[in-house]
Amino acid sequence: MSVRAATGTEALTTELPVGRSTGWWGMVMFVVTEATLFACLLGSYFYLRFQYGGPWPPDGISKPKLLVPLVMTAVLLPSSLPVVWAERGIRQGQRWRLRAGLAATLVLGVTFLALQASEYAEKLREFTMTTDAYGSLFYLITGFHGLHVLVGLTMIGWLLAASLRGGSFGAHRHERVRNAAIYWHFVDLVWAAILFTVYLSPRL
Amino acid sequence: MSTHPGPRARLTGGLLFWYAVLGGAIAWAVHLLAVWGVDELTCAGGRERIGALPLRAVIGAAVVLPALATVGALLAAALVWRRTSHPPEGVDERPVGRGRMAAVVAIWSNLLFLTIIVLGGIALLVLPPCLR
Amino acid sequence: MSTTAAAPAPGASREDLAALEERWGERPSLRSWFGTVDHKRIGRRYLVTAGFFFILAGLSALAMRTQLARPESRLLSPQEYNQLFTMHGTAMIFLFATPMLFGFGNFLVPLMIGSRDMAFPKLNALGYWVFLFAGLFMWASLPFGAAPNGGWFAYVPLTERTNTPGLHMDVYSLGLLFLGIATTAGSINFIVTALKLRAPGMSLNRVPLFVWAIVATAFMVIFALPALNLDNAMLFLDRRFGTHFFDPGAAGNVLLWQHLFWIFGHPDVYIIVMPALGIVSAVLPAFTRRGVVGYPLIVFAIVAISIISFGVWVHHMFATGLPRLSYSFFSAASTIITIPSGIQIFAWLATMALGRVVLKVPMLFLIGFVVTFVLGGFTGTMFALTAFDQQVTDSYFVVAHFHYVLIGGAVFPMLAGIYYWLPKITGRMYHEGLGRWAFWLVFAGMHVTFFPMHLYGLFGMPRRVYTYRSEPGWDGWNLVSTAGSYLLAIGLLLVLIGVLHAIRRGRPAPPDPWGADSLEWSTDSPPKPYNFPVLPRVHSLHPTWDEASRESMGAGATRDRILADGRRTLLTSELDGSRERVVEMPEASLQPLVLALAMLVFFTAMLVAWYPVAAVAAVAVAATIAVWLWPPRRPERELGVQP
Repeated sequence: MSVRAATGTEALTTELPVGRSTGWWGMVMFVVTEATLFACLLGSYFYLRFQYGGPWPPDGISKPKLLVPLVMTAVLLPSSLPVVWAERGIRQGQRWRLRAGLAATLVLGVTFLALQASEYAEKLREFTMTTDAYGSLFYLITGFHGLHVLVGLTMIGWLLAASLRGGSFGAHRHERVRNAAIYWHFVDLVWAAILFTVYLSPRL
Repeated sequence: MSTHPGPRARLTGGLLFWYAVLGGAIAWAVHLLAVWGVDELTCAGGRERIGALPLRAVIGAAVVLPALATVGALLAAALVWRRTSHPPEGVDERPVGRGRMAAVVAIWSNLLFLTIIVLGGIALLVLPPCLR
Repeated sequence: MSTTAAAPAPGASREDLAALEERWGERPSLRSWFGTVDHKRIGRRYLVTAGFFFILAGLSALAMRTQLARPESRLLSPQEYNQLFTMHGTAMIFLFATPMLFGFGNFLVPLMIGSRDMAFPKLNALGYWVFLFAGLFMWASLPFGAAPNGGWFAYVPLTERTNTPGLHMDVYSLGLLFLGIATTAGSINFIVTALKLRAPGMSLNRVPLFVWAIVATAFMVIFALPALNLDNAMLFLDRRFGTHFFDPGAAGNVLLWQHLFWIFGHPDVYIIVMPALGIVSAVLPAFTRRGVVGYPLIVFAIVAISIISFGVWVHHMFATGLPRLSYSFFSAASTIITIPSGIQIFAWLATMALGRVVLKVPMLFLIGFVVTFVLGGFTGTMFALTAFDQQVTDSYFVVAHFHYVLIGGAVFPMLAGIYYWLPKITGRMYHEGLGRWAFWLVFAGMHVTFFPMHLYGLFGMPRRVYTYRSEPGWDGWNLVSTAGSYLLAIGLLLVLIGVLHAIRRGRPAPPDPWGADSLEWSTDSPPKPYNFPVLPRVHSLHPTWDEASRESMGAGATRDRILADGRRTLLTSELDGSRERVVEMPEASLQPLVLALAMLVFFTAMLVAWYPVAAVAAVAVAATIAVWLWPPRRPERELGVQP
């Protein structure tokens, strides 16, 4: 490839992006607006924290422990891989890969929610969302993300049910798999931002 | 231009096109969030340094780098403009027409965003960073 | 040029037309009425419903003006007055302006880009039902004396539970969250429709300016609305469940509300005005007999305004004590955003100067728009003088300013749009004389009402007071304003009568009564359920004015653009509008209505704190979506499954 070719009329007027389906665009736009919502939420966390100015967390609440959230991360982030593997499988018409991959993700996602529940059980003894703004932020951010995991798991479970019925997906029909996968990857990535904001940043 | 560009050249050209169109806007958005966040948070903490660097230098960098990125986008937009003014024979007219309109939009918008960034930079020369 | 494109198009055979009618037509029945996914019917419903909420909000304003006609009036109690001015503002912004423009968008976008429907017709129906229910949800609180009462921007701490007990602000936060679903769904639908469903040949440089404006608006909604939704969610949690987001006594901060509100609120000014300016760009060519001057520059202005509008929110908060330097970065953006706005105005003026102006009713409203909007912009720049701003803040001067901007910038273009597209929407012509009377009454009424507000604002009368003591300069001008508001109401009533008269008595409209340039004028008035017998192939920015595009729907029709063997339309590529493939469109369905009803139950149950009912409703929402998207069973060979 030469610079000349890449800056010629034809290369510069190449159509990009091209050929996406309406469903793909719809899901991408939905994810974009949801991502903006999380950006506002995490921005509010930092805004309240720095405007408060005092020690953070306030009111003698201890800094969040890292062990459970790190295990949760280790469960949730890799859960995107089986989805990718399943999607590639159904593109080649391999239904068993779709079913196995979705089932694996379902297990990982449910594990994540179980870990979160155990973490809540411990935290709620120390502070609740009515203790102060820190408590409100902590439970709103993690709870809202947990809700998104639940929605994502519902999608995955729904895909699994449809694929077990048969007659749903194949090499020529896999748009729903792709769209649900986009959402699941998004839920994963948001968790990384939450891990940084809620758990790691108070230690910086 | 007798041969058609290959897929990699097309991808690069397509990305360059989007850099020309959106580069200034994105640079300005990054610039605004950076200068606002850094200035407000550092001053709220009662400091005028970030680590070893004076606050003014950090904000200065958050003005100069986006401004340079915008100048780059402006140059790219000018390139698209030139390449679509006399298209070679045998090139489809619709992409060229679309590219030409996008180039006009891009040149104007990059100029506009460059102006906004530069005006903010002038304020940095005049005002101490934490004056209220 | 005006009537050549009449159907039946020579390109589609009689059998084709019958097949299209069979696939797309909806026989009148209760089921089809509740289940329709036709973008034209949904668009009409948006227009009518938004008009209904406009009447309610307008009557609220009349009640307030009647109260303020003389000093120390006892017609309304302070509590009633607070609810009326809050509902007036909230409804005008959220339940009238945006939905009205979405109604125009819904009806027009598929017609303007040469498609048979929106990208997601069922989502479109859902958006309408949610909008209707959210509007009724909010208005229903008024008879109970529980309507929102904290002003349309609902600043904390005034709106916290300790200061505003009762359901008032819960109705506000839940109502706007509910409505947000409709606005977001509609926006995504507009973006995807404009990206993928344009007629073949319609590359981005041939997209009508109205469509550009709607798409830019939709992008602003996508990025701005989450901030408002988060704000309202936090307000509701604070009020109902005792969280402390806005409570400075427990590490919270009241300014967080203002930041999030104006991150949404400033773009929202453009969310309201931008599509209205799109209407101006669409109407102008028909009444100046030429294309709008500087098409690429207007596209640039639309794109630039929608981006920069996100970087100016702090200018609503210059009194809150930021470092002067960070303030200046927002000032730079606030100053520069006037350049693209100016470019648009001068492009329109140049169009009028270079074209041959035809003074029909829509054009009168456009001229009224320019005069009023420029006056509003002029008082707007006066606020940039800090000393002046401090003097008039929270006085009637501000009320005068934003009514000039919003009535000038949004309502006048909408009225122009109503008269302009009435023949297309109803198939009937309006009465020109009646329309002229309506224009002059609305124009005069508007200025008689709001111009005096500048004066008594300068004389020191504060806004949002339910009554006032007799002061020199206040009493007389207030009476003038009240008289003007009745004049305005009569003018608007004449608009309504004009519309009803056209529907009942108007003479039938030809496909293109104006000799206009965009694609909606090259099909029937009103359009058939399938919009176009032959999907056009677009050769220029003004397809109805160019021979090749018109011929593509007539003598040059090809089988692959008739698509009569199914409920189908064409997908084309994102930037250049190259043909990609044919897609099947969904048929009428009751699922959108059921889903919206489940959401209504959810939000109502949240409001009255019946949480188990809310939980059941949430499950019903999930179940309806699951059924909605459930894949149809297909034979394995068609799917492409490996054993």
